[in-house]
Amino acid sequence: MMAPLADYLILSAILFAIGTAGVFVRRNLITILLSIEIMLNAVNLTFVAFGRALASVDGQIIVFFVMTVAAAEAAVGLAIVIALYRHRESLNPDSWTALKW
Amino acid sequence: MSPLFIAQAVLTLFVFVMLLNSAAVMVYVERKVAGMLQQRLGPYLVGPKGVLQPLADVVKLMFKEELRPRAADAFLFALAPIISATCAFAAFAVVPFGAETTFFGLLREPMKLQVADVNVAVLVIFAIASMGVYGIVLAGWSANSKYSLLGGLRSSAQMISYELSYGTALAAVLVMANSMSLTAIVEKQAGAWHLFGWPLLPRWFVFPQIVGFLVFMTAGIAETNRAPFDFPEAEQELVAGYHTEYSSMSFAMFFLAEYINMVTVSAVATDLYLGGWQGPFADSIGWIWFLTKVAALLFFYVWMRWTLPRYRYDQLMAFGWKVLLPVSVVNLLATAAGVLYFGA
Amino acid sequence: MAPEIFAFYAFGAVAITASLLVIAQRNPIYSVLLLIASFGALSGLYVLLDAPFVAAIQIIVYAGAIMVLFLFVVMLLNAPHEETDYDERVHPLLRPGPMRFGAALAVLLVVELVWALGRGGETGSFPGGAVTSVTDVGRALFTDYAFPFEVTSILILVAMLGAVVLARREERG
Repeated sequence: MMAPLADYLILSAILFAIGTAGVFVRRNLITILLSIEIMLNAVNLTFVAFGRALASVDGQIIVFFVMTVAAAEAAVGLAIVIALYRHRESLNPDSWTALKW
Repeated sequence: MSPLFIAQAVLTLFVFVMLLNSAAVMVYVERKVAGMLQQRLGPYLVGPKGVLQPLADVVKLMFKEELRPRAADAFLFALAPIISATCAFAAFAVVPFGAETTFFGLLREPMKLQVADVNVAVLVIFAIASMGVYGIVLAGWSANSKYSLLGGLRSSAQMISYELSYGTALAAVLVMANSMSLTAIVEKQAGAWHLFGWPLLPRWFVFPQIVGFLVFMTAGIAETNRAPFDFPEAEQELVAGYHTEYSSMSFAMFFLAEYINMVTVSAVATDLYLGGWQGPFADSIGWIWFLTKVAALLFFYVWMRWTLPRYRYDQLMAFGWKVLLPVSVVNLLATAAGVLYFGA
Repeated sequence: MAPEIFAFYAFGAVAITASLLVIAQRNPIYSVLLLIASFGALSGLYVLLDAPFVAAIQIIVYAGAIMVLFLFVVMLLNAPHEETDYDERVHPLLRPGPMRFGAALAVLLVVELVWALGRGGETGSFPGGAVTSVTDVGRALFTDYAFPFEVTSILILVAMLGAVVLARREERG
């Protein structure tokens, strides 16, 4: 007696939209990275839900790879944020609109 | 309200209360054994042979004033010890400590001596151990003091580094046992190897996996921030590390969390390597064997603390990454090769 | 209400609320902690979807490692609350520039997707009975998907090296 598939997809859509809004609305590099993680998680939920609906293991496998890629991307993204912060002491993406030192 | 449901509820309560008691017993055992190792008496005033010492400690901690630095983040300051203590208790929910039993015929069907039998129990323990890091890192941050922050960051960096060796040593056991459920792993360790018809060695995983066992125990000691890996909370270095600013019951919760983490690591090591509740007459008094083995491992913990000097932080991290992790990976590969060649 | 349906709504509500608060919070530490709560709720949803392996991996990798990394960076940088050149009390849909676009895009996404899914009618329900187990996941991962598995390990190695190089302090002289 599980919730229907559409409910899971709607939940995932809402989470994805929240993540998208976060990337545009927030002016803090770390919060932008967090919003990207929210989007990735919403996609993970869709994959697992469909994997369950089609009784296939592929959904979980793809989630495994998405998580790995998200980990790599978070690590490199945060390293870039640290390097940027060292130069200009600011986490506001508007500080780097000119891209010249 | 079937009898099984009532039995399960009673079992959950029982495990919780027993964990609390074990922390109290550990407080006493630690100080008494420390005394014996250092050729002095240890606690002897409170109660016969000092057995009421933990009670006195608890009463003292309860009566102390609960302080909070004004610049501290109040919500996180209160939340951190709760996270530490909760994760410490929660990990024990999937650890089985005895064979299936009907409690002398009171139940119609046998019930496992385990709060929840999940078939990914090993992963659950690992997950809860990863969450335990947050209690420490938030404690370090929220107190808004430099000793706390440094201690918290160092301690959590140490914990996440040693989690890798912990997990890889665990993976080697999974390769041998072919299951992630702790009950199944223990049941695989039943029986003994025979030589000329005489039982020579019990079929525990510690014998083929001696390297893995040592790696697991070392990583476990580092995970629980015990000596010789307790640099981040050493008095001579960082005042008290991440729990500098805590007092009274918040400090007691960290204290409790540390001891219960020790008990959990020992219990998991017993289940994975020392055969859990296996032993003669395992079906009826298996839990006594389990308690004995866990007690032996806890004694080993205390012994390590009061015998070895502590590692400096960079030595600690170098050891974790450059020695322990390669050893555990090689152990995993060798185990996999062995299983392929000899066939489980 | 069946316990699974109730659990689904409970976890879903926690996930959505926590995610909304993540993007609404000003203190980055609270954002990270709320995201951890959201991941915990998602992990519960994975358990409901009969994927215990993914649920455990979500906690171990996402909530237990990636978020610790975020927390470390926030603490080390002592990330300030963002100073902005707009009035914070104005609703996102009325703010200038990309923010209005982003907020409008998000609303549009939700409306569109809910409409599309609602129109699909019977998008299907879950088949009952036996589903995949952890053994199946492991088997598929190492047979059908062995190549991507090996490639991701190289990817992680490259990411590790990149992170170490990028975050290193510049050598003096």
